[in-house]
Amino acid sequence: MGEIRDFKSGKSGKPVRESSPRRLAAIVAGDIAGYSRLMEIDEEGTHGRVKRIERSLIEPSITGHHGKLVKTTGDGFIAIFDSPVEAVRCSIVIQQDMVGRNASLPKHHWIEYRIGVNLGDVIIESTDIYGDGVNIASRLEGIADPGQVFISGGIYEQVKHKLICGYEALGDRKVKNIADPIRVYRVLPDPTAFNRTRKRRESILIFLLSLVLLVIAGGAFWYIWWLPHGKDGDHASAPVLPEMPKVLSAPQSTVKQTAPLPQPLPAAPPANPHAALQTQPAPLVAPAVKQAAPQPQPGSPATQPTSVVRQPEMNMLRGGSFTMGSNDDPTEKPVHQVSIKPFAISRYPISVREWNECAAAKACAFTATGKDDAPITNLSWSDAKQFAVWLADATRKPYRLPSEAEWEYAARGGTQTRYWWGDQFQSGMANCKNCADVAAAEQPIKVGSFTPNPFGLYDMGGGVDQWVEDCWHKNYQGAPSDGSAWVEGDCGSHVLRSGSWRNDARYARPANRDNYDTNVRYPTHGLRVALSP
Amino acid sequence: MRIARLIVLSAALAFVSFAAHAQGKAAPKDALVYFVWPQNGTAIRGGFWCRFGLRNMGVTHAGDDFQNSGHHHLLIDVDEPLDPNEPIAQDKSHLHFGAGQTEARLDLPPGKHTLQLVLGDAKHYPFNPPLVSEKITIRVR
Repeated sequence: MGEIRDFKSGKSGKPVRESSPRRLAAIVAGDIAGYSRLMEIDEEGTHGRVKRIERSLIEPSITGHHGKLVKTTGDGFIAIFDSPVEAVRCSIVIQQDMVGRNASLPKHHWIEYRIGVNLGDVIIESTDIYGDGVNIASRLEGIADPGQVFISGGIYEQVKHKLICGYEALGDRKVKNIADPIRVYRVLPDPTAFNRTRKRRESILIFLLSLVLLVIAGGAFWYIWWLPHGKDGDHASAPVLPEMPKVLSAPQSTVKQTAPLPQPLPAAPPANPHAALQTQPAPLVAPAVKQAAPQPQPGSPATQPTSVVRQPEMNMLRGGSFTMGSNDDPTEKPVHQVSIKPFAISRYPISVREWNECAAAKACAFTATGKDDAPITNLSWSDAKQFAVWLADATRKPYRLPSEAEWEYAARGGTQTRYWWGDQFQSGMANCKNCADVAAAEQPIKVGSFTPNPFGLYDMGGGVDQWVEDCWHKNYQGAPSDGSAWVEGDCGSHVLRSGSWRNDARYARPANRDNYDTNVRYPTHGLRVALSP
Repeated sequence: MRIARLIVLSAALAFVSFAAHAQGKAAPKDALVYFVWPQNGTAIRGGFWCRFGLRNMGVTHAGDDFQNSGHHHLLIDVDEPLDPNEPIAQDKSHLHFGAGQTEARLDLPPGKHTLQLVLGDAKHYPFNPPLVSEKITIRVR
């Protein structure tokens, strides 16, 4: 004890230890992937570029994030930071900046850093640092892919709630000359990647939740249905399922379908054998309703529709072939022929009133404010899709989003001109920016305020942007010609049609197409629904 | 079954809950939005990746109302001044990156073009004062 006290008070006469104090630090190790290959291609050029990068990027970034550059080697560097957050942030900045620097070069000339970050106790000397914390950082850097940042579990614990970026767990990794395996995380600076991993986690959660609910529902089923089952042994057969395919393909002959009648609802608890059917997915049974009207529909106890869902007014369209696209914009090319099967589409964009019924049923994400007969706005594609799914479920009819081809077919109303009324824009025909005398009116104005097109459809152009089923493709190269939705490829964004009151007249053309991120809401985006016959 | 599905659905949606909104929020004084690439005056052949930089603030998904965060908007050949009381317009010259993207592939027709970045808040409103990048001019060959 005495000795230690002496040492601490500096009386021991051995102040030598001061030169190598230990401390906890976030260590960043980086090196260039394929450095020797780059040197082989162009020795002087590469050397010059690396030095330039060190001077203009690495050093300022480290100082800017309150770190200290310990040393640079030929192809790498080691830095220490007091704060793990700053260490990771600095690494991301370096990686993102390098992406920009490489962008204008051919791939084999790219300089790409691999970076590892670790939290550890290190011995600091004036020109170098030592300790296995440093070794682990270099090992992490060694297993990182070019252009990536790998962090250790210790760093992850410190930064996970403080830095908005994604972290992908890579599990425990055994690295050279380190006894214990190290937990490794990959940093994903792109938040979309973060969303992807988060979504995966969410879907697992949802799956577990639905499993639990299923078990509960199953128990409830058993309780409700099994007990009365014992009493009345009525086994009337109900051939609902076998008839279904016929109904699905039955052609609809009416051209115009007015507001459909309310569905016949089960008045009494259904016969027992149906209990077995209810475990079938609902949409399968749904189309049978039309034909099986006299027969009591097996209402599943979970649905119990107490009120009738108001259905949108639909216009039935005879199918046919039409010319889709235009030469007015690169996205609308090539002009191509598409055949459309008969379908119905809502006469107006979906209104706030209609949307709020879905919200009241807890099937849509939010309750909209605003006038009941204004179009619903501020929807993401996922919101629009949810509405269509809910409507189909609640009415047991195959409601859905229209395909892009169906939308354009409906918007053209049998015409081939720039606008459905001709090639010249006419004021007062559509609700767009600077094209109607409704400047003073509160926007969006109520649905159906403008002239309908030859198919009797309102607001097909201007008003609100309308989501369709298709994923975004930058032109029609490879588009289907059978009128179906084009859902292959990257669905990060979906197609919007119609243009809105905040877009000028060009956007109100039936051929105009635009796109937006699938899960992002925007104040001018709404929808209309379609119905397969 | 349906109720179960709806509960699951609403539970899922609870994750994507709304954030409170106030337009015209102030951005941190030292926040900086800039082009990583291209730089002002660059001549480019064909399509290219445009990369956005943001300093002292975070990039989030539109709709997420975190402190000191926003998402990018790229204005191509836009001359009208920005209206801070309106959401940033959405059309072919106002590109939105509401999923938190920090880069975009651009295919611009040959000629001179101006590019400018604007950071928008959770509700697509510009900050107050607007947080914008330098308006750069590039030439596409």
